Amino acid sequence: MAAADLRAELDSLLLQLLWDLEELESKRVALNARVEEGWLSLSKARYAMGAKSVGPLQYASRMEPQVCVCTSEAQNGLQKFRVVRAGAQSPEEVGPREAALRRRKGLTRIPEPEVFSASPNPLNWFGILVPHSLRQAQASFQEETLKLQMVLEMKPQMEATDSFFLGLLVAHL
Amino acid sequence: MAGRGKLIAVIGDEDTVTGFLLGGIGELNKNRHPNFLVVEKDTTVNEIEDTFRALGAFSAGEAEASPDHHDPQLLNETPNRQFLNRDDIGIILINQYIAEMVRHALDAHQRSIPAVLEIPSKEHPYDAAKDSILRRARGMFTAEDLR
Repeated sequence: MAAADLRAELDSLLLQLLWDLEELESKRVALNARVEEGWLSLSKARYAMGAKSVGPLQYASRMEPQVCVCTSEAQNGLQKFRVVRAGAQSPEEVGPREAALRRRKGLTRIPEPEVFSASPNPLNWFGILVPHSLRQAQASFQEETLKLQMVLEMKPQMEATDSFFLGLLVAHL
Repeated sequence: MAGRGKLIAVIGDEDTVTGFLLGGIGELNKNRHPNFLVVEKDTTVNEIEDTFRALGAFSAGEAEASPDHHDPQLLNETPNRQFLNRDDIGIILINQYIAEMVRHALDAHQRSIPAVLEIPSKEHPYDAAKDSILRRARGMFTAEDLR
């Protein structure tokens, strides 16, 4: 009976892994498609602005990140990633920060903690009036960064399934 | 940086790095090292490897000396490539064809943070067979893993 249970469990883990593989592949395809759209838009922008007008020569000497990734450990020990963009607010942060009555004159404002300092749009590195294709490229890569977490979370999940599967297999051989 | 999330670093060709910087991941000021590396035709494998290892090792708070990185020419050209003492990087994006150049360094990186994600490049389409995640999963179906 124990052998039958073991086989059933191994089959279940294998099916889970194959399911994860399929899910990872579909997320990969979406991720790659988005980055390819971004490259195409960059090429169009380069065609419109000049070959040397969209590249490292235009990078700012000072940059502030507008995106960060928050990592945490789930209850099952797996790493979780959350990509956060500047200006994004969690629902708990919306609303008045103090319970005190507001005064009519000169409302005292408590400086709100910000995830990021106000950073200029990277589009400004390339000029004041940039072609629409460059804005499209930016949108593609912004969306790409937000999708990263979906792919990254698959890796520890699959590694955990893999380790458990091999552990069971080796222990009962 | 207290209370802030971690950065996304990128090692890639010009288009990849420019795109992600447009997306807002870049960090660079007079006191800090850049979190990106543009790999060009004259970029050496050692430089890529040193940058990756520094990003990966120092992000876990380890202080690791890089004995190979004392080339004066490299230091003069790229003084900020050491990424020393960086513990603020959560994800490293790297073009797959560049990852192949430093595959041994990637395989040696076992920690979950920073996470390494291989992405295609404009001139080298994505090859699932070379992806580190899928290679590991594929290994489940070979007899070598049972030894």
